[in-house]
Amino acid sequence: MSATVVEGRRASVDLSVPIFLILGLLLSVLVILPLFWIIWYSFTSDGGGGFTLANFAALVTDPTLVRAYAIAIGMAFAVGVLSCLVATPMAWLVARTDLPGRRFFRMLITASFVTPPFLGAIAYEILAAPNSGIVNVAFRSLFGLDSSTVLVNIYTFTGLVFAIACFTFPYVFTLVANALDKVPSDLEDASAILGGGAMTTLRKVTFPLVLPAMLAGTLIAILQSLTMFGSPAIIALPAGFHVITTKIWSLFQFPPRLGLAAAAAIPLLVITVMLLRAQKAILGRKGYTVLGGKSGTPRINTLGNWKWAAMAFVLTVLSLTIFLPYGAILKTAFTNTAGDPITWETLTLRHWRFVLFEFSATQLALRNTFLLGILTATIVTAIALVTAYLVTRRSIAGAGYLGVLATAPVAIPGIVLGVGLFLSYANPTFQLYGTLWILLIAFMTIELPAGYQQMSSSFAGVHPELEEAGRIMGASRLRTLWDITAPLLRTSVVAAWCFVFVGTIRELSATILLTTANTKLVSVIIYDLNESGDLGAICVLGILLLVASFAVVYIANRVPVLGGSQMNARG
Amino acid sequence: MWNKVFVTAALVAGMATATIARAEAPAPYNVTPELEEAAKAEGKVVFYTATDVAVAEKLAELFEKTYPGIDVQVERAGSERVFQRIGQEISSGINNADVIETSDAVHFEYFKRQGWLQAAVPQEVADKWPADERDPDGYFAAYRAHLSVLAYRTDLLSEADAPKTWTDLLDPKYKGKMVKAHPGYSGTVMTATYVLSELLGWDYFEKLGQQDVMQVQSSTEPPKKLAQGERPLEVDGNEYNIFRLQEEGVPIRIVYPEEGTPLAVGNAGILSKAPNPNAAKLFYSFLFSLDAQQLNSDFGGLRSFHPEVVEKAERTPMSKIKLLHSDPVKLEPLIQEIKTHYEQYFGT
Amino acid sequence: MSFLELAGLVKSYGAVTVVKGVDLSVEKGQLVCLLGPSGCGKTTTLRLIAGFVAASGGEIRVGGQVVSSAAGTVPPEGRNMSMIFQSYALWPHMTVFQNVAYGLKLRKMSSEQINKRVREILTVTQLLPLEGRYPGELSGGQQQRVSLARALVVKPEILLLDEPLSNLDANLREEMRFEIRRLHDEFRYTTVYVTHDQSEAMTTADVIVVMNDGRIEQAGSPEDIYARPESEFVARFIGGTNILSGKRISDDTVHCDGDFILNCGSGTLAPSGRAIVSVRHHDIEISENRRWETNTVSGRVVRQIYLGSHRDYLVSIPGGETVRALSPVDVRLPVGSEAWLHFPPNDCRALAR
Repeated sequence: MSATVVEGRRASVDLSVPIFLILGLLLSVLVILPLFWIIWYSFTSDGGGGFTLANFAALVTDPTLVRAYAIAIGMAFAVGVLSCLVATPMAWLVARTDLPGRRFFRMLITASFVTPPFLGAIAYEILAAPNSGIVNVAFRSLFGLDSSTVLVNIYTFTGLVFAIACFTFPYVFTLVANALDKVPSDLEDASAILGGGAMTTLRKVTFPLVLPAMLAGTLIAILQSLTMFGSPAIIALPAGFHVITTKIWSLFQFPPRLGLAAAAAIPLLVITVMLLRAQKAILGRKGYTVLGGKSGTPRINTLGNWKWAAMAFVLTVLSLTIFLPYGAILKTAFTNTAGDPITWETLTLRHWRFVLFEFSATQLALRNTFLLGILTATIVTAIALVTAYLVTRRSIAGAGYLGVLATAPVAIPGIVLGVGLFLSYANPTFQLYGTLWILLIAFMTIELPAGYQQMSSSFAGVHPELEEAGRIMGASRLRTLWDITAPLLRTSVVAAWCFVFVGTIRELSATILLTTANTKLVSVIIYDLNESGDLGAICVLGILLLVASFAVVYIANRVPVLGGSQMNARG
Repeated sequence: MWNKVFVTAALVAGMATATIARAEAPAPYNVTPELEEAAKAEGKVVFYTATDVAVAEKLAELFEKTYPGIDVQVERAGSERVFQRIGQEISSGINNADVIETSDAVHFEYFKRQGWLQAAVPQEVADKWPADERDPDGYFAAYRAHLSVLAYRTDLLSEADAPKTWTDLLDPKYKGKMVKAHPGYSGTVMTATYVLSELLGWDYFEKLGQQDVMQVQSSTEPPKKLAQGERPLEVDGNEYNIFRLQEEGVPIRIVYPEEGTPLAVGNAGILSKAPNPNAAKLFYSFLFSLDAQQLNSDFGGLRSFHPEVVEKAERTPMSKIKLLHSDPVKLEPLIQEIKTHYEQYFGT
Repeated sequence: MSFLELAGLVKSYGAVTVVKGVDLSVEKGQLVCLLGPSGCGKTTTLRLIAGFVAASGGEIRVGGQVVSSAAGTVPPEGRNMSMIFQSYALWPHMTVFQNVAYGLKLRKMSSEQINKRVREILTVTQLLPLEGRYPGELSGGQQQRVSLARALVVKPEILLLDEPLSNLDANLREEMRFEIRRLHDEFRYTTVYVTHDQSEAMTTADVIVVMNDGRIEQAGSPEDIYARPESEFVARFIGGTNILSGKRISDDTVHCDGDFILNCGSGTLAPSGRAIVSVRHHDIEISENRRWETNTVSGRVVRQIYLGSHRDYLVSIPGGETVRALSPVDVRLPVGSEAWLHFPPNDCRALAR
């Protein structure tokens, strides 16, 4: 190469500094602005608008707030414990025994992540409402009991815990099953050689090794249920009690008490931060790195005669968490009312006709939902990709702060963010309220941590020398990112995209405070329809939502540019 | 239906400073050929409404047939959504709506105070409407009404077992059998809670709260819970939903207690900055015409203040029902107090 | 003026300075080895040359033009260099052919030209039959050759190698050393090669640059470095050696701590302070009785190992030092017996540092 060409190339501008600044600004606005307004409003009087500490005083003195917090915390811990108790044996059976069909079971539980929790709660209304619930109706007619007999009642605290646990246990399950996959069999062999029986080995070696995963998963379940809005709104309100999320939501009813809502959101924020720190501490301690080592395939235990008991256990759990709710949704979508027996006479398409052709909100909501889902997934993945690149490659001083900012929203519960965004963007300066933009901002903020986490761990898997090789061969930073890094991250990028997409379309906590008639989403119309009692239409919408999500995820993995064969990624 | 009212801080602040219009009601107007001409020149009218979408669309159809050449754009949402939307639009300087209608009487006191409405009295209203069902200053009038009713499933409760009065509901035999909507969510139920608390006192609700009542949100929901068979008895809920379920053949009967039944009035008015002022006046007048009111009654199950409307035979006529009227002016400052009491007794 | 020049090059990360003023000139076509223990700054120096890290001070010039200084850095893609990485850094999503062709594509060559050039280099590196494979389907040695081919095909002005052989097993490593040298002799690229393995450096380099603690200890031909070390560090690092120290008597004479005099045939002693002398293991003569007048001392055999071609002795001498010496197999001294050691003056190298 001649010197002039070398000269020419020298002119190429390094874009990393401006990109860094733009990203830093964007992330700061996304994260700091809503938090700022929450804090500001929490010190503002709802009456006159002046400075006050009354909102915080109400946190301690207002019995309805204290009660809502107490119930929410009790519920969250009950959900955590229940999830862990169910998920751990499931994970062990599926990961470490010769249980028939274990791969299928595992796939099924993983796929059940896609189910929005509020849809599950509605399915349980259909199944276990005390009078009209399918289970109760069937039970009564089976034993010829009168109408006052109630076998199960979902509109209770226990019912709420159960309904939420059904949709949080996959978190614990996935973490524990993955941890069990990685417990090196030689550690277990060592115990066996030293004379430990199968149970002793399980108890003394395997169990302590996956304990951190169990605790971490349990904390996620606790966090999820503590900040969840949909399921409590559907189950707790008819039962006559508030959890903190529904209480905050009720403060937005006319006349809105924004200051109190902001103050009520702050302890939730603090608890979330504490739980996340606890989780980090647990995962960071105790030679957890052992789980990273790969020495030998995991040992598979033979169940023998226990096989049937184990099978019964797994099928029971799956029935409760997957088969029954989905069955109820399908049945309700195709019969007149949920309680009807399934016969040729009761089968009907009227809910489908109503949702698809008569209900004016359907099209708009579906369009909004998928537009927002796709936009959010794309933008978040892009931001996460660039942020993770800057952070993991440390190409700029201070890049680490970007990582902190991108992870920070994980500590902001959806409902709190909803409050913050409403306060930030529903004032005359930013007329974003009532537009899709405010929802886009909300979803971006909510999903950013997950996207960033995925991208940064996959960046860690791409050796920096692969990029350096591209640079020294003559490719610019961006070109390298495009030619080398992006194709190598393709699978992770698609996975992150799908993850964000699914997370967006099932979001309700922040959405419920930010949506208006023109910016309806499927999740919100499902919630609204539940308020007006149209279960058939809800189930049809739920099925549409699930089918469409699976379709989008499927397509995302098949599109030639994104998916297709890795071998053909570069032609 | 009270929920999701996100009035911005500016809006809330505005309440305090708004000028209160106090003027004589203008002279009633008739539909003249000139008005019709001018309305046709505008070509359309935008109607923000909380009436059930099917009913509203039918009404629009009738108007378009009566006055060809003027399109009606129906923007339907729940009362509180309509309220929130108009608030936002006006505070952002957007004037989109010509005629507005919600089922929440408090809204119109607020609109009037804000100066968002223009005074206009159709001849029909001036001639035939009861004086307390229209604004003395002529800014709005009761376009429709519905009752919040006590009702039960006849197949699950015998007539003998069914309650006859509000206080009957405190009988232990109804424990765990009732469903009711929420005053924080529903304007209809807020009105009902207000008038019943005035009538029976809060200790009535305190006792009712111990009856293990299933709590739902919207006033359309209790009738649907009855239809589902989830509860045999509703404490409150829209009368027109019950009418429709009865017509579908669901075995439900309404009880009109001797103490009275709460009435929720849905007002309509013309926006002061209506983009199609003549079409707005024409449409507004049409809303109160016998044809339109009869259609509301037949198709929507709504109650009308037009004395010539003939109700379906199976419905108890309003004249035979003791109505509990509410005064929105008195109700408005009590909303927070009612919500606090309610949460104390019912948990949410 | 040399082709590649490093002048007073400094690199600091915060308070830590890892490269502390390196001056080096590399002639066009030379193969220079940066040799040193881990943490000596050699890899950072290489990455400075490549442009992956920005210099904190000093300059790097290529063909007289400054490419790195505290004021600015030409990005790696603007340097027309290529590099072979420790991990090979073959792009797993590209075939052997695509990996090698990538650099040419960036140079906007026609596909015929690319085909021709890639086929040429694949022939030279004996990879032609493997061109359609993915890196994951190749052995370590084959991957190494792809990495070489990819670096060479663009005809870089400077070729950089970062511990290229450290991931290979011993046999393959030896083979690849000669391969690299052969390819260098064939293409004569100006090459900078980083390694911590002295025999790798000896086999391949025209010039060896020994680095320690961010500085150059000594630069010279392999023979210079081995036979004429200038510091204790270099003497110890390159080949085994004994270091004897004592008081300086004259420019080439030392009174050692064991109370004997050493005359040095080469090198210079430090003008003041302790005097140090290096004597290679295999240059020491050993005998059961005194056979030499000067440069000799007696000690006691601490260990003796028979190694087939020679014996490996460890002898402790007065002053507390232990000397390692290799002797012909027929010199047989049992452990514990007295042994006389002779340090031939020509093999005693006086060290300044």
